Amino acid sequence: MSELTISRRGLLAGSALLLASTALPAIGFAQTPKKGGRLVLAADSEPRNLNPAIVASNGVFFISSKIVETLAEASFDGKDGLQPRLALSWEGAADGLSVTFKLRDGVKWHDGKPFTSADVAFSALQIWKPLQNLGRAVFKDLEAVETPDELTAIFKFAKPTPFQLILNALPALSSVVPKHVYENGKIEDNPANNAPVGTGPFKFAEYKAGQYYRLTRNDAYWGKDEPYLDEIVYQVLPDRTSAAAALEAEEIQLAAFSAVPLADLDRISKVPGLKVITKGYEGLTYQLVVEINHRRKELADLKVRQAIAHAIDKDFVVKTVFLGYAATATGPVPKNDPQFYTADVPTYPFDVAKANALLDEAGYKRADDGKRFALKLLPAPYFNETKQFGDYLRQALAAIGIDAQIVNNDSAAHIKAVYTDHAFDLAVGPPVFRGDPAISTTILVQSGIPDGVPFSNQGGYKNAELDALIVKASETLDTAARTELYKEFQKKVAADLPLINVAEWGFISVARDTVGNIANNPRWAVSNWADTYLAG
Amino acid sequence: MNRLRRFLRTPEAIAGVLILALLLVMALAAPLFFPGDPQAIAGPALLPPFQDWRLPLGTDRLGRDVLAELFHGARTSLAVGLAAAAAALLIGAVVGTLAGFAGGLVDEVLMRVTDAFQTVPGFLLALAFVSIVGPSLSVVVAAIALSAWTGPARVARAEVLSIRERDYVTGARVIGMHPLEIAFREVLPNALPPVLALSSVIVAAAILTEAALSFLGLGDPNRVTWGGMIAEGRTVLRTAPFLSIIPGIALVLTVLGVYLAGEGVVESTAVRRSLS
Repeated sequence: MSELTISRRGLLAGSALLLASTALPAIGFAQTPKKGGRLVLAADSEPRNLNPAIVASNGVFFISSKIVETLAEASFDGKDGLQPRLALSWEGAADGLSVTFKLRDGVKWHDGKPFTSADVAFSALQIWKPLQNLGRAVFKDLEAVETPDELTAIFKFAKPTPFQLILNALPALSSVVPKHVYENGKIEDNPANNAPVGTGPFKFAEYKAGQYYRLTRNDAYWGKDEPYLDEIVYQVLPDRTSAAAALEAEEIQLAAFSAVPLADLDRISKVPGLKVITKGYEGLTYQLVVEINHRRKELADLKVRQAIAHAIDKDFVVKTVFLGYAATATGPVPKNDPQFYTADVPTYPFDVAKANALLDEAGYKRADDGKRFALKLLPAPYFNETKQFGDYLRQALAAIGIDAQIVNNDSAAHIKAVYTDHAFDLAVGPPVFRGDPAISTTILVQSGIPDGVPFSNQGGYKNAELDALIVKASETLDTAARTELYKEFQKKVAADLPLINVAEWGFISVARDTVGNIANNPRWAVSNWADTYLAG
Repeated sequence: MNRLRRFLRTPEAIAGVLILALLLVMALAAPLFFPGDPQAIAGPALLPPFQDWRLPLGTDRLGRDVLAELFHGARTSLAVGLAAAAAALLIGAVVGTLAGFAGGLVDEVLMRVTDAFQTVPGFLLALAFVSIVGPSLSVVVAAIALSAWTGPARVARAEVLSIRERDYVTGARVIGMHPLEIAFREVLPNALPPVLALSSVIVAAAILTEAALSFLGLGDPNRVTWGGMIAEGRTVLRTAPFLSIIPGIALVLTVLGVYLAGEGVVESTAVRRSLS
């Protein structure tokens, strides 16, 4: 046992050192940005559809957010947590039935045509509401977008829609695409989905499958002197270990989204000329959750779910699986959310004895071989951390007499098994918190979601009280009252455990010292990089 | 006795047998030395080897004892290697004997099926089979056997073709034995030695195939396998290379041991043949 404490201390010291090492270079970057240069960075996936208005996911944003802009971007210190992009200001009506956006003047599409309110109306009504994975829920009551002049767009809702929700949705859900490119033919089949046209600081130049994406500078960009870079090249490096090597060999200057494995960070932070940055993902918090299939008789029992929650040592998970680059979770809203988070929820401290007692109480006694019952455990294959947590969870469950058999699948098979076929007892999933529980969090516990919707409640959980709370919150206009309802939501979820939140994490970027203005907003990796530059 | 002495005269055979014996002891003694779950978390994560005498080979990303995993991995590797080889030899010997002894249409059909299996690269066949049926130990064994039985089938057929013309086979026919009885009681036992000589190659290939499948995440995830250990270690290759190197060395030694012992057997039988 004594070694364990020593190593924990060592780990803490190590992570403190890391934090210090990221703080130091930041001081040296208070210099004027330099123009020109090509930024080469690692890309670990190759999305085929690059239209962020249709596919609102971080893999798409990573590339297309530089080309296609949103109405507003998340900001550390701006009003409403936002900084203006295509919209200069926004105002919600008191009755929740309309939101008025004043748009930026003098913005041109990459093909030279002017950007107007008609483009916003078209994107909202024809794409965000009917086609976008996340927009479907948020804009479901959007009825019309009025355009009294070229620079004003008024969103009209059929039912009262909370202004707070619209604001929180702007950074991820409001990518504006040109009406004149998309108005003819089927939107899903438009060639611009693979070679996007936008208003952003960079233009799409070319894509070579399996090799790279190349973006070039938009000389007519609205930002003064921006962008600073001439070119951005996304080098496709699907193998995570190769990203670290490529950084060291100076083949790439940046690896975002933890392309460098966490276990390598300690070593790579000591390489001269490289810096490890933990900021810039505050608006993209991933949550490590244990998804539960409530159709299983044992798991439908709250005592069993509580026992599982008590059996998981969250501190161990954060320190060992995430090597300290994560935080323990208390409920369905991450701790780093400034608006909704509450710590006032039932908690489940690590306590194997209590977990065993709960299982005994529930009537699942240990058999002669020490096992109570067997479960199928499906860890999501997307991240090393979800797979490793699956291995850990198996051991944690073994300690309380639950025999978990791991089933490994590739991404497609995992999504089918969990979200369509429900062929799981426990699954490990990484849902994303997107600044507002109504965007992608409440669907994790809400009942009545059709089969096959990924990252939603497919565990057969049904709680009328929670469902009513979710509906009420989605109709409550008053920000304070709405926030209060979501705090209630967190309490109820933590008490009834439709799923178990274990940890929450942001990603890590590793960059050369020469890359400037990194991580200057909470969604930096998926923002437009107009102010990013290369020094020296 | 004489044969054993001859076998042990070659140094590579001795080395091979020693390695295999060591491995067998490891596999059999694994539950004695490391009782309980080898995947249980035993200490701090990523402890390098030779730091703590209780965890002599260190720990992996989750703090599991690498030595315990290595011992239990030997069980999986040997079990899969031997089971797959036995299954492949059995299928191969039966198919080869039937084809060779029956001749005609049966021979034609069986050999074309064998050809069909031989034209598909064995590893791809195993990969496809496991991805469709789903990874578990028995499926992995079946997948490897499926891709390895063609060699023994061809060798068995060739032997049977020459044996079936011998006098004692004609004799058996004359006394009215059933053709199947002749094939499996008189012919097959005499055709077996050259087929069995293939076993070392098949065992070695089976162990490697199992490791490769596990490496690609298609092994049984609830068992420790060397291939799986290498795959897991790969994510921390630069920081903790020992996690990949240790099971890698075990794999190399095992395959080497099987080959050397097989060589020894072949050589000792070759000497016997040339003497007789």
